[in-house]
Amino acid sequence: MATQETQLLDEIIVKSRRKMISLGGAALAGLAFTSTAKAQAPALTDADYLNFALNLEYLEGQFYTLATQGKTIDQIGIGIGAGTSATGGGTVTTKGGNNYASCLVPFVNPLVKAYAMETATEEGNHVKFLRSALAAGAVAQPNLDLFNSFNGLITALGIPGLTTFDPFADDASFLLGAYIFEDVGVTAYTGAAAALTVPGNLDAAAGIQGVEAYHAGLIRTTIYGLDQNPAGNMVKSVGLVPMNGLSAVASAISVVRAKLDGTAPSATRMQADDIGIASGSNLQQVMLNGTTNVPASSITNASTTGSINLATSPSTTAGSLVFSRTAAQVLNIVYASPTGKPGGFFPNGLNGNVK
Amino acid sequence: MEKKLQDLVDKALSRRSFLAGAGSVAAGTLVAGCSSNTPAATTPPVTTTPAPTTKPALTDADILNFALNLEYLEAEFYLRAATGTGLSATDAGPNAGAVTGGAKLTGTLTATQSNYLNEIAQNELDHVRFLRGALGAVAVSRPVIDLTFFGPLAMVAGITTDTSFNPFTTYANYLIGAFTFEDVGVTAYHGAALLLTSKANLTAGAQIHAVEAYHAASIRAQIVAIDATTTPSPGLTAIANKVSALRGTLGGGMETMLSSTTIVASDSNSIGFKRNTDQVLHIVYGGAGTAGVISKGGFFPNGLNGTITASAK
Repeated sequence: MATQETQLLDEIIVKSRRKMISLGGAALAGLAFTSTAKAQAPALTDADYLNFALNLEYLEGQFYTLATQGKTIDQIGIGIGAGTSATGGGTVTTKGGNNYASCLVPFVNPLVKAYAMETATEEGNHVKFLRSALAAGAVAQPNLDLFNSFNGLITALGIPGLTTFDPFADDASFLLGAYIFEDVGVTAYTGAAAALTVPGNLDAAAGIQGVEAYHAGLIRTTIYGLDQNPAGNMVKSVGLVPMNGLSAVASAISVVRAKLDGTAPSATRMQADDIGIASGSNLQQVMLNGTTNVPASSITNASTTGSINLATSPSTTAGSLVFSRTAAQVLNIVYASPTGKPGGFFPNGLNGNVK
Repeated sequence: MEKKLQDLVDKALSRRSFLAGAGSVAAGTLVAGCSSNTPAATTPPVTTTPAPTTKPALTDADILNFALNLEYLEAEFYLRAATGTGLSATDAGPNAGAVTGGAKLTGTLTATQSNYLNEIAQNELDHVRFLRGALGAVAVSRPVIDLTFFGPLAMVAGITTDTSFNPFTTYANYLIGAFTFEDVGVTAYHGAALLLTSKANLTAGAQIHAVEAYHAASIRAQIVAIDATTTPSPGLTAIANKVSALRGTLGGGMETMLSSTTIVASDSNSIGFKRNTDQVLHIVYGGAGTAGVISKGGFFPNGLNGTITASAK
């Protein structure tokens, strides 16, 4: 029996598919153009890729630090300037006219708060580590937008009545905000790994990739678990939802990410290269070592032999591998632009040679 | 078995000296792989280790077969827990080794718990199939696997006073079993990724590495959440940390004690841990790093299949 929310999700998916199909050509053309432009540029160095990663870490570090401390990372002693300069980085746009203190999330659930604080520390450490590794070659923090970006993204989900989204409002909203970032971080590091030429750099990148995957697994498990236990000690706020509501929104976010990066949904993979948090009647079906489907969660954002949102599926050897994104695909997502134009979380684009 | 256990305990006591020697073990990690000429001044301050000259270079197939052995172990664990049966003859390969132990969980699972279990089981089965497909004719078959080793392991870890611990009972016990594997998988793939020479293999290794990290985080988060939301708390976190401590003893440290404020296992720079093949072998064979060359035991009574089967020391 489909709940109202799952019906809603189905509608979102169908709508997204249609939009994807109609926009597919243009989106692909944009990607192709981007690739061509990149091909003419000089080959990217390890430093270019690490600076690309540093831009993403600035974004994550600011989000989590604002959520847990009501301060920006530079206000707690993490440098954001070019090279080894502590200052001189870009601005951070937030709600309340950049009232950073207002971004402190009034956490209710102690576990969610603890997870947020841990993640803030770890993302801050990634900023520090990459800046240290890049030393004089580190790019400054670009201008970041943690206000208009979220409103735009949530509007793009196409959920009726949902046109503003404050990820700092409460526990549930924070979790969805975190959801937006972590899986993208995993795919970005996965895509960049093979391009790195120095073993030490690969080592570090693999280590950070693993931590991003821990974060993503933690966030997704928390969202799914809370959705399955609405009577638990978790707030179900923002009018976003009753049962399975957080998962439905998260899944819609996955659809939008996949749409932005130009991957096309297929018959067995409606969410293309981004798997939402299936729940309720939308659980993915897997065959395990038998011949009949059994329901399974989708904590891991990876290709599986099971189907998403389909009762039956051909058994393919998808391998249960996390997805990998090119730098151009990652830019499309964080710019909220299928053609890779600066915007979204980076209103003026990234700093460095990957932008 | 008792002799082996005593050895384990003895070795556990000498952890300090083992850790002191870990540096030289770690030197084995960066086997001739990527010859790197590189833009200077971009290398992170990662400790560089001299390339060993005595070992024959491992091929990508050697590394992937090493990983395949671990995937057989995980797949058998999860599939049996979920369904009561393990890998099909096709998935286990020709002349596959026997599997001892493992059964469908006897406890009653909530739908949510069942969904979690089914997902991981499918993922690990997929990894077996993916690696077998990638390796083709040179894929090793499943080695002999002993899933009753959880009992002795739990005793040595100080969780139980005898070898009766069985992860195939309640969901809580299962979580401890899963916890035993997942963080090891993460560190093993991280270490292995650095050895792979083909870019495609490296990407695939990184992709599986991340899946194991998703799993590890989910298992760790579930353990913490159960403790936090159950009255009285069942103390699963403390049990998991005994496993973690034992893994650290056997496998060169590389552990972050679990708590509600430390879900992620990583170093002080928040970089995920890696283990070399020796360290992984010591864990899955259940023998400390000071035990000398160890080539079988624990979950793999006859050792792994392939070329990476014995620890260097």
